[in-house]
Amino acid sequence: MDLRTRKLLDKSFSALGVIAILFMALFLVVILAPIIAKGSGAFIFRGTVEYRKLMFDIWNRGDEKALAEEMQIVAKARKPVYEMMDDFRRELAAMPSSERRKYRRALNDVEKNIENLLGPNPDDREPVLMRQRYGQTRWDMARKHLKDVLYATEWDYSGGMGVKVYVPRQDFFTGTSIEELFPYIEENIDAMMAPRLTLYLRFLTDDSRDSHFFGGIWPELLGTIYLTLGAMLFAVPMGVIAAIYFCEYAKQGLVISYLRICITTLAGVPSIVFGLFGLAFFLNTIRVSESKSVLAGSLTLALLILPTIIRASEEAIMAVPSTYKEAALSLGAGKWRTVMTVILPAALPGILTGIVISMGRAAGETAPIIFTAAVSVGKALNLDEVFTNPSPALPWNIYNLCTEHEAVDQIRHVQFGMVFSLIAVVLFLNITAIVVRARVQKNLRN
Amino acid sequence: MKSNGLHISARQDFIRRGGELIGRSLLFSVASVSAVAVLFIFYFIAKDAFPFFNQEGYGEFFTSPNWYPTGHPPEFGALAIFFGSALVTTGAVVFSVPLGVAAAMCLSDILPFWMRQIFKPTIEILAAIPSVAYGFFALVVFAPLLQENGGFALATGIWIVGLPVATIGVVVMSDVITSMLPFRSKPAALTLGLALLLEAGVILTLFKTSSALYGMEISSGTNALNVSIILGIMALPTIVSVSEDALQSVGRELREGSYALGATRAETIIKVVLPASISGILAAVILGIMRAIGETMVVWMASGNAARIPTPFYNLLQPVRTLTATIAGDMGEADHVTGSSRYHVLFAMAFCLLLFSFAMNLITEAFTRRYRKKLGK
Repeated sequence: MDLRTRKLLDKSFSALGVIAILFMALFLVVILAPIIAKGSGAFIFRGTVEYRKLMFDIWNRGDEKALAEEMQIVAKARKPVYEMMDDFRRELAAMPSSERRKYRRALNDVEKNIENLLGPNPDDREPVLMRQRYGQTRWDMARKHLKDVLYATEWDYSGGMGVKVYVPRQDFFTGTSIEELFPYIEENIDAMMAPRLTLYLRFLTDDSRDSHFFGGIWPELLGTIYLTLGAMLFAVPMGVIAAIYFCEYAKQGLVISYLRICITTLAGVPSIVFGLFGLAFFLNTIRVSESKSVLAGSLTLALLILPTIIRASEEAIMAVPSTYKEAALSLGAGKWRTVMTVILPAALPGILTGIVISMGRAAGETAPIIFTAAVSVGKALNLDEVFTNPSPALPWNIYNLCTEHEAVDQIRHVQFGMVFSLIAVVLFLNITAIVVRARVQKNLRN
Repeated sequence: MKSNGLHISARQDFIRRGGELIGRSLLFSVASVSAVAVLFIFYFIAKDAFPFFNQEGYGEFFTSPNWYPTGHPPEFGALAIFFGSALVTTGAVVFSVPLGVAAAMCLSDILPFWMRQIFKPTIEILAAIPSVAYGFFALVVFAPLLQENGGFALATGIWIVGLPVATIGVVVMSDVITSMLPFRSKPAALTLGLALLLEAGVILTLFKTSSALYGMEISSGTNALNVSIILGIMALPTIVSVSEDALQSVGRELREGSYALGATRAETIIKVVLPASISGILAAVILGIMRAIGETMVVWMASGNAARIPTPFYNLLQPVRTLTATIAGDMGEADHVTGSSRYHVLFAMAFCLLLFSFAMNLITEAFTRRYRKKLGK
């Protein structure tokens, strides 16, 4: 081959590698960016007056007097809306029946959408469901619902495939007394909703209300904390002891190589199989609890992360210079004492790194807890209930809310908030591990 | 008899030895927990799997694509589900192996040390993101995107991937062809002309393919392509870190020998380093496959969960259903009919997954051992 061609190939080869790495970085950004951007919307958003009313009604938060004043101002801005609708109802009653039917249906639609946006008519009885008791609490959602008030959605099939078209409702009602309603709402939506920048950090520590329409994610978060800590409680002692055995006591032989194959096999078992095993063994055979429980889930997760912990601890123990060990032994310390007083302290940062990384893994795993620990709806558990009760958990409820919830589109902010919280926890753990390890490596090099 | 601190009585010696023996066996029993767990997993999955085969036989499960577990009579043909798993895994491998191996080569041989230090955490974070977050991304962000702009994205993707690769191919081809011609010195004009001609052909082909892709309607964003890409991204960290290990374990001597013979860096990597570490890279690929085939949440959320073989079978734009998603999705309903075929069939699937991952593990182990041995480590 020509020398120039070879050089060109060499350069393009390097470029290929760099592009591959840049692609990986790009994936990371592309995946994290929307989750962080929209997830932070669960914590910082423009809350409407409905949000403040809700907070006061449920948790007694906020200044009662200020709220009452604000409610008055808002009610004043909303009053013409209800008046115009009343007027139109009267006008409707006087219409010939064919006209009346046509308008009646359209008016129902408008009423429903306005109720969605502003909450129930103040003169009506209070609805049963909490989600019907309040209007839109978030400004971004209010804007969406405003569009539903102003425009009717229709499908245009003229081109074969159905195309969504938005038809202004005002056109439909032209010539009636309600015509003025639409421009009025559009212009005065700010006064009617009073959006204000809100920081809702208690999203993390509030219970959810009315199946996640309102409130926070505390039961899920707490469930995840229980499950993770429970798993660590079982896996860490076992994993570290196993690593000590493999590094310091075991002699190379058939049994040990068999054990090692078992560990790699365990690491390769698909997580859903762990879930089935947890169901078949912990719940159906030895019956650690009557139903699904945090305990069963923790045990299953512990098995899942055991190989990771063993490997990380082994590596950390191996990395301790053998001079340490020799010095301790030459001072007359026994093997066990050497391990406990010299090797383990020296290997501790490495072991901790492994533990922290597997904590992140345990917190994020979904498949093993589906059949063993997770429920879709539940209260935050007390510590003594974890042995018998199932709990909601972040990973499972993320799945549940974005696939099985009755109003998937209306609680997007909760879903994103949950994913954001989960990722924040996991990334925090991992970044801690990365930083600790970098420190340790620096120390070792010195 | 009193001990004076230095002298050890027979009794104390016995106690000490006995204590050590007990301690050792305690340590051993803790260390073998994982082995016991593996045995238990095999036993308990098999125990609930075999009743299914006893009740329904083997034939239908492995050969029929009809999956109607709630029908009357129920049909348990899992062929389409096996195929779905295979399809998305293949897609993930095709997507991630070239990218991952290229990235590993770059990390181990091309980038300077400090840049490696920056990129390694990126890979770790990519590995740390929980699978349910990937699934959420696939379902909520990626699927609508794919559905609305899928044709455009595919066409652009073809250009981004196809053009550089084909151009390099064209340059090499024209060079090789002209050097085969019976001229004493290579005529540069001829090489250039040939290259331009081939390049024109490439661009034409790309243009045709991309315009065909551009006009394509994607009926649903939750399909095999979506899942393949996300699974590929999830498998990338494994592939990169394992194959980088393999590449690194090829010593400096081999590389320096190759450079001394006048090879460029690319030639060194492809002709010397890669063959020396090929078993390690294969191990990386297998680990990537295992990661993809065992993944549950992404496929459950974003694959569309339709238990039928796409038409034609390689059509990634249709929804599929995988083994893991079937287990996760059906167990909720089959749970309260414990003992029925519908319950046991899920264990049969899990058993197949388990056997597959066990076999793959043994193969990986063999490969890793081989390259360690070959390199004398």
